[in-house]
Amino acid sequence: MILYKLSSVTKIKSGKKILDNISCEIDKGKIFVIMGPSGSGKTTLLRLLNRLEDPSEGEMFFNGEDIKKIDVRELRKKVAMVFQIPLLFGEKAVDNILYPAKLYKIEVNPEEVIELVGLKRDILNQKIDSVSVGQAQRIAIARSLVLNPDVLLLDEPTSALDFSSKIEIENLIKDLNKNLGISIIFVTHDLEQAKRMGDRAVLIVEGKKIEEGSIPEMFENPRSSELKKFLKGELK
Amino acid sequence: MIKVFIAGGLVAIAIILAFIQKIGIVKDLSFGAVRSFIQLIAVGYIIQFVFDLKGVLYQSLLLFIMVLIASYTSRGRAKKSPHAFLLSLISIFTGTFITLGVMLLMRIITTEPKFLIPLGGMIIGNTMNAVSIFLERFYNEFKERKNLIEVFLSLGASPREASKELVKKSVKTAMIPITNIMKIVGIIQLPGAMTGMILAGASPLEAAKIQIIVIYMLSASVAIAISLLALISYRFYFTPSAALRL
Repeated sequence: MILYKLSSVTKIKSGKKILDNISCEIDKGKIFVIMGPSGSGKTTLLRLLNRLEDPSEGEMFFNGEDIKKIDVRELRKKVAMVFQIPLLFGEKAVDNILYPAKLYKIEVNPEEVIELVGLKRDILNQKIDSVSVGQAQRIAIARSLVLNPDVLLLDEPTSALDFSSKIEIENLIKDLNKNLGISIIFVTHDLEQAKRMGDRAVLIVEGKKIEEGSIPEMFENPRSSELKKFLKGELK
Repeated sequence: MIKVFIAGGLVAIAIILAFIQKIGIVKDLSFGAVRSFIQLIAVGYIIQFVFDLKGVLYQSLLLFIMVLIASYTSRGRAKKSPHAFLLSLISIFTGTFITLGVMLLMRIITTEPKFLIPLGGMIIGNTMNAVSIFLERFYNEFKERKNLIEVFLSLGASPREASKELVKKSVKTAMIPITNIMKIVGIIQLPGAMTGMILAGASPLEAAKIQIIVIYMLSASVAIAISLLALISYRFYFTPSAALRL
């Protein structure tokens, strides 16, 4: 089943082409990795998927439907996003869990949600400025799970974390995919992470799609010279 | 005119004292004295001309020009705020129009130029200050907290919900000058209109009554303009698909 279909998507910002004629398909229920060097347009591509930005040209389909025809609020209920820097709001961690539930007027059990991301219940009443970055990122992930999304978009969510927290978050994301069936679309410039995490991947360099395929295929038999260079660490 | 020169003599004494004591304000004080003399005489002539314009249409036109100038000035202060001129124009115009309109309808003031123009000027000036404070504050807050607003949007908040706290803060800040005036009026200083009326021979109670009306008019106009901005200004920061424009 196809989750997203992008057809000749171009994004121009301040006269500069950030994404150039990207076409690709993203499968439902998998972990899809958008990889590429810094400044290649990965984050912009991710942001198009829940309409935090719109393409300048081209078409996008979500579950077979033109994304522009879907009510943006409904789309964002199904497609949650976790940002690179975990920004928490309110006074306590629990405020972050209650916020989306309040917006959509749904009941939520904060304890259940916080346990989903491997945190203890007592963190809910902790002040947001007293939690670690790793805990903040978990709370941000918990917050995005409140609405039971079908898709989780993650923009380099481990870049601000130390190695052990990074592995923990990776495992958490894999569990969410496996146990809750949430499709994951993950942006990273970290090769090893892409290898550890993904089922399929796309390589974006200077806004252009270079190669797309399954992770083993791309890492073992790279076709393009750019992917070969990226794998050797020559593209940063 | 003799009275003016006598008062001017006091300024001259101050200038001489400053010169003797070498406190470096001789130039500023001299220029200031001459400048204020020229400015006020010019304004006197202009107001006399305006008072001679008996038609309501002329007065309305003049008030509208004042609103335009105020909107332009407000835009100058809140330059980076999107559509600052348009937002200032809409809000200052609405605040002034409603306030003066109600006062006229209730016959609290008449269409005589001696009411409409000075009161209109005070209303426009105070509303302009509040409007430019709001626009500037909102823009700065928005820029600073852009990432957090995007978090709200990504969680499904509408632009109104995502910018609610910033609007609240900006409204509070913009209302500070007028609420401060209301708090201290008559205690720390006597306002210009009241002082003027007492000097012109009105009874202090009559002057106080007029001053209360003026203060209420100013605060009403400011509140109307700022409420309107709170309703519309944030919309210019978002696309129709609830994404950030900035």
